[in-house]
Amino acid sequence: MKVPMSWLREYVRASASTEEIADLLSVATAEVNGIERRGPGDTSLFTVGRVLTADKHPNADRLQLCTVDVGGGRTAQIVCGAWNFGAGATVAVALPGATLPNGLTLERRELRGQTSEGMILAEDELDLGTDHEGIMVLADEHAPGTPLIDVLPIVEEILDIEPTGNRPDLYSVYGIAREVAALFDGELVPLSDADPPLAGDERLDIRIEDYDGCPRYVGRLFRDVKIAPSPVWLQARLRDAGVRAISNVVDVTNYVMLALGNPLHAFDFDSLEGGRIVVRRARKAEKLTTLDGLRRDLDPSDLVIADAKRSVALAGIMGGEETEVTAATTNVLLEAANFEPVGILRSSERLALRTEGSNRWEKGVDPYLAAPAATLATRLILELTSARWTAAADVHEELPLRRTIPFRPAWTNEKLGLEVAAERQEAILAKLGFDPDGDGFRVPTWRARDVTREIDLVEEVARFVLGEIPFTLPMRDVSFGRLTREQRIKRIVEDVLVGCGYSEAYTPTFPVTADTVMLRTAIVPSLVEAARHNLSVDNTGVALFEIARVFVAEERRHVAGVVEGGIADAKWAVEQIYAALKLEPAYERTSEPFLHPGKAARTAEGWVGELHPNELDGAWGAFEVDLDALAAAAPAAVRATDVSPFPELRQDLAFVVDEDVPAAALETVIRETGGPELRDVSVFDEYRGEQIGAGKRSLAFRVAFGSAERTLSDDDVAPLRQRIVGALRERFGAELRA
Amino acid sequence: MDWEAYIRDAERDYGNAHTLEELSEVNVKYQGRKSPLKLQLREVRDRETGQLLNGVRARLEELEREAESRVGALQLESALQEKVDITLPARLLGDVRPRPRGHLHPTTLIRRDVEDAFIGLGYEIRDDREIETLEYNFDKLAFPPWHPARSPRDTYFLDANSVLRTETSASQIHIMEEKKPPIYMVSIGRVYRRDAITPTRFPIFHQFEGLAVDRHITLADLKGTLLHVMRALFGEDRRVRFRTHYFPFTEPSIEPDVSCGVCGGEGCPTCKFSGWIEIGGAGMVDPQVFTNVGLDPQEWSGFAFGLGLERAAQLRYDIATIRPFWEDDLRFLEQF
Repeated sequence: MKVPMSWLREYVRASASTEEIADLLSVATAEVNGIERRGPGDTSLFTVGRVLTADKHPNADRLQLCTVDVGGGRTAQIVCGAWNFGAGATVAVALPGATLPNGLTLERRELRGQTSEGMILAEDELDLGTDHEGIMVLADEHAPGTPLIDVLPIVEEILDIEPTGNRPDLYSVYGIAREVAALFDGELVPLSDADPPLAGDERLDIRIEDYDGCPRYVGRLFRDVKIAPSPVWLQARLRDAGVRAISNVVDVTNYVMLALGNPLHAFDFDSLEGGRIVVRRARKAEKLTTLDGLRRDLDPSDLVIADAKRSVALAGIMGGEETEVTAATTNVLLEAANFEPVGILRSSERLALRTEGSNRWEKGVDPYLAAPAATLATRLILELTSARWTAAADVHEELPLRRTIPFRPAWTNEKLGLEVAAERQEAILAKLGFDPDGDGFRVPTWRARDVTREIDLVEEVARFVLGEIPFTLPMRDVSFGRLTREQRIKRIVEDVLVGCGYSEAYTPTFPVTADTVMLRTAIVPSLVEAARHNLSVDNTGVALFEIARVFVAEERRHVAGVVEGGIADAKWAVEQIYAALKLEPAYERTSEPFLHPGKAARTAEGWVGELHPNELDGAWGAFEVDLDALAAAAPAAVRATDVSPFPELRQDLAFVVDEDVPAAALETVIRETGGPELRDVSVFDEYRGEQIGAGKRSLAFRVAFGSAERTLSDDDVAPLRQRIVGALRERFGAELRA
Repeated sequence: MDWEAYIRDAERDYGNAHTLEELSEVNVKYQGRKSPLKLQLREVRDRETGQLLNGVRARLEELEREAESRVGALQLESALQEKVDITLPARLLGDVRPRPRGHLHPTTLIRRDVEDAFIGLGYEIRDDREIETLEYNFDKLAFPPWHPARSPRDTYFLDANSVLRTETSASQIHIMEEKKPPIYMVSIGRVYRRDAITPTRFPIFHQFEGLAVDRHITLADLKGTLLHVMRALFGEDRRVRFRTHYFPFTEPSIEPDVSCGVCGGEGCPTCKFSGWIEIGGAGMVDPQVFTNVGLDPQEWSGFAFGLGLERAAQLRYDIATIRPFWEDDLRFLEQF
């Protein structure tokens, strides 16, 4: 919402500066994104002038040479390219030294042999409009030498305000003025409800068939309307507020919408069949060409304005092309209605058509606003188009009554944590239009939708005292300040992987550029993408991991990684994760289409392997493990055992076995047969060679024996060793290497 | 020179190349700098010979391409024949190269700071589901029917009744349904909003959402809590101010601003010359939300707040755009 300050100050008398107003609005009302400034920085050299002479330039056919009375007994000779004026015209002049809004500083200079002392100005040169057809001709009542700023809005400060969706009343200059009046203890100029006298007694035929969609319809008929461009002041205001000027009647509807927040519409009355207005839902298969030239298929849920035969406007959203006010229009029907928000929102969403009007209606406009809006529009139409106002209608059922909400200043203080005197609270509410009523306040009609409960009144007070509220912490008698086991495990895994050289990635849960949402069931494909990006920018030594949710039958947290290298690098990381969580997983051969068929293993909680060579250039390891399953499997607590004072006896045993016997199978049997004295076993070498024979390999294990009572000797462990060797021979045909 | 014989020989030799080394030898022989073909090409003085030799060259290049793809396929096939004992420890499966330590993502660094700050204040931390029902994402949080977030234009619908959560606020409902107050909780995780990808927006981001429900919780408590968090995240010298705002599930609603860390509040391009940086949203739990979960709003009072992790990381680490958060470029990650 763009609010020109000159317009705002028409409605509120407050001594605060623009900056002060912007700052306090930001804190207490709605965010102010910034203050735009339009027009020249220094206006002292912009003045009213009267053209004394205007003749063709002696040396240029397309230029005029003028002398202009610029007041104070001074005359300026000015060369001018426009021809839409002559001697006697009152014009806007910029004198040498003036800087135009576009940054150009004027100088006295020669133009085709004649001195030109300044410039006679067109609209666009003052940023008042886009017109460069001719210079602006001013009313003759302005004396030469009058500062131009007194005559034309050549400078403006514009607040760019972003009201929240619950405050439709702030989508208007008057609504902002009301806030400024309350915040700065200023005086809000009351809205006039005095209509000019009717100049006729025609009857308007207006019928509402759907009061749910349209609680109110104020219609007014104007005859002998002269369509013309709006005066400069009106065009400038619209432009400053971000709305394009079109013609006087249309501009008035937009002006009133911006001023008060009630969107209006104007119909060419003669194009309405039967001169009738019917507010109803669209018929099946009904079509309407809207003002933007699009032929639209209507839905029976769309609210329309119709005449005796057909729909002529999409209610609250956009008018129809066939009943548009044009240069040829002479009779105008003005609509100041009220539309229910949700229906407007649905229709504008379905049609993908959002307008200044629909944007206000969908937030809920005060139905009482239609009358003052119609009054202001009527005054302006009569003033600007020399029309006659010949008929009026105001169709509505009972309008909602103002609600009274109980209010306890003490409860407000309880919620705020600040003592605000009851009188001050009540004064704030009164300034905003809330009227005291018994133990509560009556809500003004323009706040009926967002203020319905006592807590909403508390907020009204709160926003005025936000800065005064102290910084405290809640009084506590209990604390929950600790990570859960799952959260601690997540941190452990993150730290383990960082220690293993992996950097952490965050990848999208689904391909965000696709039309449909395909939630991922694994993380590794996204990490492969991230790895690909890193390769494309020549990063080396890529190792990435991520912890995120995936979407299988239920949501699960996974940890996944990819690493340049191979299965060894990936499995190393997985081993560290399991070890950190005190888990000893069993690895089994597995296969996945994206993994190398001979280098893929799975555990109970996930998999690890080498990526299929088609996935990425070079050799890459990858893993993906269900973190929730890891957390569930991890032992809850570590129970320490005493370290034995007697040293362990370690022996290395190498066995020759068939190629396809997994090392883990041998290790399991060693553990099973090693007896209670077996403390540890691990494979430390794999060897293939001619002495071993084709299809065979040698696996070397380091086996540690120990006792809590004494130091074991070789003789002590010899039988254990025999048992192991025998078992491995029996189970796997394994031969002990000498 | 009998170029037909030259091509025949080449066809035979290319056909017999089974490894990259063999292929390279054949290339040198027939297309190398000193091959008869290249030597002759240098001597060409008439168009007829030139065309003939170009034909030969084209044929040889074709042979090379065929051989290349055949050798490639053979190599892939033989690579896929490799089989290792996956039960062996990693260091016996190949060289496990030592790597310098990796780096946590800035989003995680901020997450941990948030967790630590709130654990310090006695809050529990939650990590809730990302697929939510309309009931938890909107209805119980008192989103009005007109709220734009309810539209498929703004929100990812998975079916008529479920969405990818648009904020972590559903956690408020979950915890209030699971346990009686007092509640002091922070929920952290991914949220999703349909948004064009721009330098400042990505459809996926992370939020942390706090909720305190107890007797006599005040707006002053919310201000103090947020001040603590801002200082934990951004430094002890930060100031915080609050502006009125609107959120469906809080009343009064406020937006915190933190004083600009670049200019210290003097005004600079980073803070758009306001001295303040917008960060997150907050407010007192709306009585309707209490009613929706069966708590008496006259008995209980509470506050809630939500902030974006990426946004906080941007401010903390001076990251200009959101792009690097999802690009996972090591040159970015290694800075943390």
